[in-house]
Amino acid sequence: MNAIAAARRTWNERLFYLFALPFAALVIVFGLWPIAQSIRVAFLDSYTALSPDPRWVGFANFETIFADPYFHASLRITLIFTALSVVANVAVALGLALAINSPLVRRGSTFFKLCIFLPVITPDVAAFIVWKAMYDQDFGAINAALAALGLPPMAFLARADSALWAITVAELWKHVGFYTIIFLTNLALLDPELDRAAMLDGASWRQRLVHVTLPQLRPAITINAVYALIQFLKTFTVAVVMTRGGPNFATNFVSYYAYRRFDEALYGEATAMATTLFVLVGALGYAMYWAAERRDWR
Amino acid sequence: MTAHRRLVQLAAYLGLGAVSLVFVYPYWWMVVSSLRRTQEVMTAPLRLLPERFDFTAYEQIGRIGGIPLAHYVWNSLAVTIASTAVAVLVTALAAYALSRRPKLRGLQLVRYGFLLTIMYPYMLLLIPVYLVMHQLGLLGSYAGIVLFLSLGPIQFFLFDQFFRSIPKELIEAALVDGAGEWQVLWKVVLPMSRNVVGTVTLVTFLLNWAQWFPVIVISTAPTTYTLPAALLLLNTELGASFQAILALATVTTLPVVVVFLLTQRRVMEGFAAGAVKG
Repeated sequence: MNAIAAARRTWNERLFYLFALPFAALVIVFGLWPIAQSIRVAFLDSYTALSPDPRWVGFANFETIFADPYFHASLRITLIFTALSVVANVAVALGLALAINSPLVRRGSTFFKLCIFLPVITPDVAAFIVWKAMYDQDFGAINAALAALGLPPMAFLARADSALWAITVAELWKHVGFYTIIFLTNLALLDPELDRAAMLDGASWRQRLVHVTLPQLRPAITINAVYALIQFLKTFTVAVVMTRGGPNFATNFVSYYAYRRFDEALYGEATAMATTLFVLVGALGYAMYWAAERRDWR
Repeated sequence: MTAHRRLVQLAAYLGLGAVSLVFVYPYWWMVVSSLRRTQEVMTAPLRLLPERFDFTAYEQIGRIGGIPLAHYVWNSLAVTIASTAVAVLVTALAAYALSRRPKLRGLQLVRYGFLLTIMYPYMLLLIPVYLVMHQLGLLGSYAGIVLFLSLGPIQFFLFDQFFRSIPKELIEAALVDGAGEWQVLWKVVLPMSRNVVGTVTLVTFLLNWAQWFPVIVISTAPTTYTLPAALLLLNTELGASFQAILALATVTTLPVVVVFLLTQRRVMEGFAAGAVKG
C-alpha cells in the first residue's frame, strides 16, 4: 500500500514538473540564455563576437561607451525624460483617477475611462505615427489648432529643444490610462468609512484628500512610480518612429542608441550599453521602491 | 444639491469631457486625414469631416514592399492568435504547477528566472535573441516569432493570482475522493478558470497584436511581417504619402479598438490586476 502511495507521489511530482516545463523552456531560451549571451558579448570584441572563436576584451567595451560623449548625453537625456515622464504620468493619472472616482461624475465615468485607456491598447507604432503626423509643420493638426487659437506655430519634433517635450506629451497620452486604471482600482478598495468620518468631523475636501485619501493610496503611488520608472527608462519605439534619436541626438535614448550600435554590427558596445541600462533599471527601480516604502508620508 | 456643488460638478464634467476629447481626437484625425487629398489636408488640417471620401490611400496600401496587404493582415491574425494560444496554455500550466507545489525542488527557480527576464529591457533583449534564434535555426520563421511572443510580461501574474485564490480544501477534498491530478485539473480547476483564461486571452491578444520589434528582428524578409511591422516599413519607405501611412495605421488600429470596446471592462481589470501583482 505504501509503495503504491509513494509511486503515485513520484508520478504526481513528475506531472507538475511536466506542467512547468514548457514555460521554463521559454524563460530559459528567450530570457535567461539571451541575457547571459548579452552580458557575455559585452566582454567580447565586436568583430569576433559572433565567430566561433571570439576574443575577450575585458571591460574595453564599457570603457569605450563611458568615454563616448554621445553616450553620456544619451544617459542624461534618458534620465531627464524618465524623471519628466514619471512625474507627469503619476500626477496626471492621480488627478484623472480622483476626478473619475468622484461621486460628482458617477454617470459617464465608464466613458471617460474608455477614452483614457484606449491609447494603452493601441499599437504603439500606429499611435506614434499619428502623433508624428499631427506634429507636422505643413499638414499637422496641432499647429493648425495653435493658429486657430491665435498662438504662434511651434517646431515640435523639428528642433532639438522642443523634441523631447513633444515626445513626453505623446508618451503621456499613450501610457497615462494604464496608471489611471491602477489608481482607480485602488481607489475602489479604499474604506469609505474613513472619508465619511472625516467629513462628519468637518474636514474640507482638501483636508480629506491630503490626510485620508492620499495616505491610503501610498502603495498605489509607489507601484505606479516604480512601474513608470522601469517603463520610461526603456523608452524605444517612440524614438524609432517619431525622431530616430534626433534632431541632433536630442532624443537619442540609451535603448535606441544601443540598437543603432547593434545595427552597425558593434555588438560589444551595443550589449555593454544594454547591460548598463539593465543595471540602471534594476538599481533605480529598487532604490525608488525602497525609498517610497521606507519614508513615512503621514 | 447646493449651487456650489452643481458648479463643481459642471466643471468636473467639462474638464473630463475635454480630456476625453483630447484622448480620442487623434483617432478621428487619423481616419479623416487618410480619406482626404494632400492639398485639402494642407489647407485645412482640422476639418472634422472629409470634403469627399477619397480612397486613393487605401488603394496605395494594397501592396507594401511588394507584398499584398491581405498577406500582412493574415500574418497578424495568425501570429497573434497562435502566440496567444501558446502563451495561455503554457503560462497557465506553469502557474498552476507553481501554486500547487511551491516547495517542489527547483520549481521556484522558474519564477525567479521569469522575474529577471521581464526586468531586462525588452528591446535590448532582442539583440541577443537574434543570436539565439540564429543558433536555433529559427530566424525568418513564423515559429520563432510565435514562440518568442508566447512569453508575455503579465500573463503569469494573472494566473498565479487566480490559482492561489482557489481554496486548498476544494482540491484536497477531490483528492480524498480518489480523483487523480488530471481529474482535479480537468474537472475542478479548469471549470473555475474560465474567467481568468478569458481575461488573459484578451490581454495577450491585444499586447501581441501591437508587437513589432520582435517581428522585425526575427524576420529575414517582409514576408513574415505583421501589420505594425509593415507600418514601420511603409513609414521608412521613400515616397509613401502620409495618407497611405495613416490609412495603414487605421487598418492596424481598428481591430484592437473593436475588440477593446467589446470587452473593455475585462481588459481594463486584467491590465490593472496583472500590474498590481507584478
